[in-house]
Amino acid sequence: MKTKLMLLTLVLMALASPIFAQTGGGAAAGGTNWVAITSGFAMAIASGLCGLAQAKAAAGACEGMGRNPGAAPAIRFALLLSLVLIESLALYTLVIIFVKVV
Amino acid sequence: MHQHQQIWLARMANQYLPGVGNEILKLLHQPQAKHPFANFMVMEVLVMLVIIVLFAFLRPRLSVDRPGKLQHVMELMYDFVHSESEDAVGHGGARYLPFFATLFLFILISNLIGIIPGLESPTIDPSVPLGCAMAAFCYYNAVGVRELGIGKYLARFAGPMWYLAPLMVPIEVLSHLARPLSLTVRLYANMYAGEQVTLVFLGLTYFAVPAVFMGLHVFVSLLQAYIFMLLTMMYVSEAVSHEH
Repeated sequence: MKTKLMLLTLVLMALASPIFAQTGGGAAAGGTNWVAITSGFAMAIASGLCGLAQAKAAAGACEGMGRNPGAAPAIRFALLLSLVLIESLALYTLVIIFVKVV
Repeated sequence: MHQHQQIWLARMANQYLPGVGNEILKLLHQPQAKHPFANFMVMEVLVMLVIIVLFAFLRPRLSVDRPGKLQHVMELMYDFVHSESEDAVGHGGARYLPFFATLFLFILISNLIGIIPGLESPTIDPSVPLGCAMAAFCYYNAVGVRELGIGKYLARFAGPMWYLAPLMVPIEVLSHLARPLSLTVRLYANMYAGEQVTLVFLGLTYFAVPAVFMGLHVFVSLLQAYIFMLLTMMYVSEAVSHEH
């Protein structure tokens, strides 16, 4: 049942090519600046999900340090590394915004 | 991306030394420009001079029985990079220490020099992190080839089994290409965003409040320099690891 559902989804996505018929690109002359609005939403979504992910990492690290204080340096190292790597995902969105909007 | 205003160093360089810049541009077949020196070029040269002067100052003062303060600080930094490279790369890690320490010191001083009013971090322009990332990329590949030989190093890309190679090679190549991209974007975006946030809040509230963001920016500068060096170490460790 699950495989059938996945196959159906894939086929639907492949048949969704009419989406490409829409004209792409920039703001209509004198119309609303959709690029800026979209970039605001994009950054908000990226930051929100990044915040959730970092919260999970921090929670795991705090719990680990609480259970095993002797392992605190190793856990702290792993925590810093994971926080920076997750942060960089939100920053990729920011860079796209800088390139397209600012 | 909006243009940065020229800082006073770049204005001085463009006023007195445009010939040097234009000669270099001519050598590289680029069009001549009225202001050949960009902000980040001048600031990079300044960071390089700071590092050279620091070590020129340090070298005659090195002593085993009566170390001075500068020697203590530099020994701290050396021990830090040494222990990190032994941790990350494994037992022979210290032979790559010169590159890691250079990368760390350069990026650290580049990030922090922007705090000084009147100067600007060279890392807020995307070219400088790109240069560091390309140097790290070429370095870990070169070190891997030197350690394993080019045949065995390229055979890594094929993955564990030979019949998985048509699938693994594109994935491995893409992931290797994503590394300098992620190194560049991480460092550039952190520095640029830190500066922009401070500027925006300087326009919004009064004098002392953006200092909090500047403090965060200092912390982020230190962290990003460390992370750049750490990730380079991890790539080197992966490149030179002998799989048994």
